[in-house]
Amino acid sequence: MRPTGVLLRFSLGQLLAGRRLLIVPLVALPLVLVAVFAAGADTDPTTFTLDLYRQFVLPVLLPVVSLVFSTSALGAELRDGTVTNILLKPLPRPAILGAKYLAAVLATLLVLLPAVVAAHLIVAGGLGSTDLLAGMVLASVVGALAYCALGMLLSLLMARAVLVGLVYALLWEGAVVSVAPSASSLSIRGYTEGVLAAVLSGGGVDFTVRLGPVSASVLAAVVTLAALGLAVLRLERMDIK
Amino acid sequence: MSEPKTAGDEPVVELRRFSKWYGDVVAVSDLSFELRPGVTGLLGPNGAGKTTTLKAICGLLHPSQGEVLLFGRQIHRDPMLYRAIGVVPDGDRLYPRLTIRSYVRLHAELHGLPDPGAAAERAIAEVDLLPLAERKLKGLSKGERQRTKVAGAIVHQPALLILDEPMTGMDPGQRARFIELVRLIGAAGVTVLVSSHILAEVERLASQILVLVGGRLAASGDYHAIRDLMADQPRTVMVKVSDARRLAPGLIALPSTVAVEVDGDALRARTRSVEAFATALPRLARDQGASLHEVRTTDESLEQVFRYLVGRR
Repeated sequence: MRPTGVLLRFSLGQLLAGRRLLIVPLVALPLVLVAVFAAGADTDPTTFTLDLYRQFVLPVLLPVVSLVFSTSALGAELRDGTVTNILLKPLPRPAILGAKYLAAVLATLLVLLPAVVAAHLIVAGGLGSTDLLAGMVLASVVGALAYCALGMLLSLLMARAVLVGLVYALLWEGAVVSVAPSASSLSIRGYTEGVLAAVLSGGGVDFTVRLGPVSASVLAAVVTLAALGLAVLRLERMDIK
Repeated sequence: MSEPKTAGDEPVVELRRFSKWYGDVVAVSDLSFELRPGVTGLLGPNGAGKTTTLKAICGLLHPSQGEVLLFGRQIHRDPMLYRAIGVVPDGDRLYPRLTIRSYVRLHAELHGLPDPGAAAERAIAEVDLLPLAERKLKGLSKGERQRTKVAGAIVHQPALLILDEPMTGMDPGQRARFIELVRLIGAAGVTVLVSSHILAEVERLASQILVLVGGRLAASGDYHAIRDLMADQPRTVMVKVSDARRLAPGLIALPSTVAVEVDGDALRARTRSVEAFATALPRLARDQGASLHEVRTTDESLEQVFRYLVGRR
């Protein structure tokens, strides 16, 4: 295996070990329990799952899980000094950052997607709406890519990266965007909703979003790439004390 | 040993007027030296700038001023140079959940070695840790963790080996074997830079030394020449004893003793030969019926030696 592949495998193992594993039941249990209760009630499964995803997964679980993993991927090693084991190797720093970033994205999706898919299957009592399933998976991937890029950058800039990330996700994306809709152009949640709406509109499920599919996709890509680019610059220039 | 090699007589490591400061605090100032194959000791009291210098050589710190060249190149612009460099950093920088074998193998794999398993086994054997290879790092003693770090640093047989206080926590037997290992590596043509704040440790490791004091190069060259330079400098020895007043006259009578101060059950002796003092002390204590509780040279005395070196330049 190539050294970057080794680093990706090792980093993924580090992220999905120890106390961080507690995040798996914390994510899966609420979703599955709500889905089990809903399955016995007289509700439209597509509407219910979509609401659950938009009201709980997108604003809470996705940013929290992404930020926990992405700020730990490199930030935790910078704080405890183990990062020297990796930096003193024949790997360009952009490749190191890339491997750590991919590990954080994969860890996020490995924790989040099975719970989302399980909740969908339980509520629908079968496969249910495949458009909804595809939309949730795609929106989760886009969100994980963007939040993890933001988390990587924050972890290289400050010690309390998780806290700052959560303030952004819960305060900016939650409170500020609701009173100032124009702020949604700087909201990762807004991008993921735009992607979700674009997939679902083909299946006849419509809901109001502030960003169209093109704007949402382009802005998500720009924010992700800008955060990663700044993170690479920071990692290349920083002193490891 | 690993590529790259230096051409002809070019230095493996070259610092040109290297300085590093953090805000108003100057850690290292205007440091220039060259390293060639063999073992070189980097000596200095705590806070002298040893770790800053080593980190700059490793590429972990960027120079505030000046240049650091490895094999004639800047490591920040050429990370592939790490193929030829092994580093034992200061502090406990290990992954606690890994075993010794998986930790060393990880280093081999990150270096892209063709047979990482075999390379890891060889490196673990070189530091005498094969019987403990499946032990997790979090359960190891300080000395065992240090040797694990050394195994990780030599797994790819580097041409340049940088060791920051590598013998911390090792017992005397482990130190002796480690010194022998470092000497063998140096004799094989590897450039080794070892930092320490303990004179006796460096004496056994390296014939060439660099002495840093206050972020500046205080002396450099052959260890014995530098030791002769500071041989006439008195050192301070602290002795805690059951009856200091009875012991003091005998210590004053020693030819190498410069002064003795008694303070309750402790005495401070200034001596030109710590070795002669240490040889005579137990005999004198026995003759006077006094019990020795503690004998140590003070850190201050080491710093005085360094200050003396600075003054001589």
